[in-house]
Amino acid sequence: MSLKVYMPPPHGGKLVDAVIRDKDKAVSMAAGAVPYDIRATRDPVSGMPIRNVYREIMSIAYGFFSPLDRFMTRNEVESVLKERRLLDGWLFPFPIIFDIAEDDLRKLGVKEGDRLLLRLKGEPFAVLDIEEIWRFDPKDIADRTFGTPEKNGEVVKRRFDEKHPGWLIYRSMTGTAIAGKVFVINEPVFKDPYNRFWYPPAKSREEIQRRGWRTVIAHQTRNVPHTGHEHLMKNAAYLGDIEPAHGILVNAIIGAKRLGDFVDEAILEGHEAINKYGYISPRRHMVTMTLWDMRYGNPLESLLHGIIRQNMGCTHHMFGRDHAAVGDYYDPYATQILWERGLPSYGLNAPPYDLDKGLKIRPVNIKEFWYCPKCGEIAYSDTCGHADIAQRFSGSFIRGLIAEGIEPPPIIFRPEVYRVIVKWWRVYGYPFVNKKYLELKERELEVDVPKLEVPVKR
Amino acid sequence: MPYKMAVILDKARLERIKGTQLEKLVKDLYGGYLKVIELEVPDDIAQRILKEFPRARIDARGFIEETPVVFKRELFEVIAQLKSVGREVFEELLKPERLSKIKEYAAKEEEYLPPPELPEEKK
Repeated sequence: MSLKVYMPPPHGGKLVDAVIRDKDKAVSMAAGAVPYDIRATRDPVSGMPIRNVYREIMSIAYGFFSPLDRFMTRNEVESVLKERRLLDGWLFPFPIIFDIAEDDLRKLGVKEGDRLLLRLKGEPFAVLDIEEIWRFDPKDIADRTFGTPEKNGEVVKRRFDEKHPGWLIYRSMTGTAIAGKVFVINEPVFKDPYNRFWYPPAKSREEIQRRGWRTVIAHQTRNVPHTGHEHLMKNAAYLGDIEPAHGILVNAIIGAKRLGDFVDEAILEGHEAINKYGYISPRRHMVTMTLWDMRYGNPLESLLHGIIRQNMGCTHHMFGRDHAAVGDYYDPYATQILWERGLPSYGLNAPPYDLDKGLKIRPVNIKEFWYCPKCGEIAYSDTCGHADIAQRFSGSFIRGLIAEGIEPPPIIFRPEVYRVIVKWWRVYGYPFVNKKYLELKERELEVDVPKLEVPVKR
Repeated sequence: MPYKMAVILDKARLERIKGTQLEKLVKDLYGGYLKVIELEVPDDIAQRILKEFPRARIDARGFIEETPVVFKRELFEVIAQLKSVGREVFEELLKPERLSKIKEYAAKEEEYLPPPELPEEKK
């Protein structure tokens, strides 16, 4: 038996490609469909945008969520909530719901079997074939999506609430859903700098092959990298098969932000600076992005990350402490528990790679890197024997330094990465996400949508 | 468990505390690249800070972080003034008049923070 690891097949066996590139076909698909302007999901208290469904449409149509090719029906959502599986059996962690205000639905006057033309920034963008219109209780869906301490006590430590951004997304949905297949009919054009990081699964797979990488480890991020992240990437990359992994694929999740986060542009260019300035050779490192409004679902989010990165062609995925977490709702090692032994209370009786119709990507569960004053170097928490004096990396601490106008020292933050932050600080007048940025981002998005003339139903 | 807060000491701040008993409390961080003074924050004070500044959070090290810049600046001022790192520092800092000033500046700070001049630009 060969020990060599090769690029896994897409999750579900085939990449979804629901992007219509033939303009005539696109126009004919949209002709006569009822138009609807996509609206952001907003925090009911602050009014701030917390999700834009256009990102889910892009992720479905370009195959990031393969084999999912639609917005889910009631039965599919129930299946996901019960067993974390799609109706055809493939593992999938989150309900993907296209919700619409009841009033809007009434005005549109559409029914099952109709086609909806979805407009973005005033232009035709996608069509949705209405398979089912169904209603739900947003709070119930929110609770069941993430779990509760009573039902999912192996990892859920406290009840989810409005302070949890992912729970808030589901909680803020309208309660009326349209299910059905979705097609992008007018490809949006990514703005600078997003354009150069857009590697949808088919393109990512081609690029990996072009580079001659056989083993590739994925690094999830929604942060500008400090040197702790860099060490995580470098060291995780030693876990290949017969030699260290050939490539590190950084995949930034681009979507709704929280106040105080780094801005998306700085996250992408910050990671790019790591290879541009040789801290990790560009021969072994590439930076990409996926559009998704993070749910911060820790172990469940890691399952989605596994699906996305397997679809992108990665063989391995690193998972650290507090993966895709916020607050203290989950056990900090919940993701590693999932990938080590499964989460029975979510219907996952074994790790995702040991389940039928599960994932083929291999997990690399890794703890943390810290600065050890005794060793005089950055050390791995599990091999360093000086835990009592270790100085941990803290993104919050570094953000505090930056806000005070102090350049972080190179041992914890690369000067070239700091310059990227300052570059975008000058653009937005603030180093992090603030209310102004949130509003601007929702208005501008990451894309422009080309003009497309479509005869629509009035 | 008491939480902690750290005040970063740049050259100017180090100069301010030179020769005082505070100097003995200066701690090296990350191989001496940073100098800090750490304060223990009693639980009731920590809860108050988290409540007054909704974006403040406890990080993985157990430190209260992401407080407004002006809060950190004032914290240093009080430390230097009282020459202490005890509870009284926070009691002074959270006095209603002082706190409302901090909040007023903090609100402006969330709209705009002047970007720093990079070292190579200063040359």
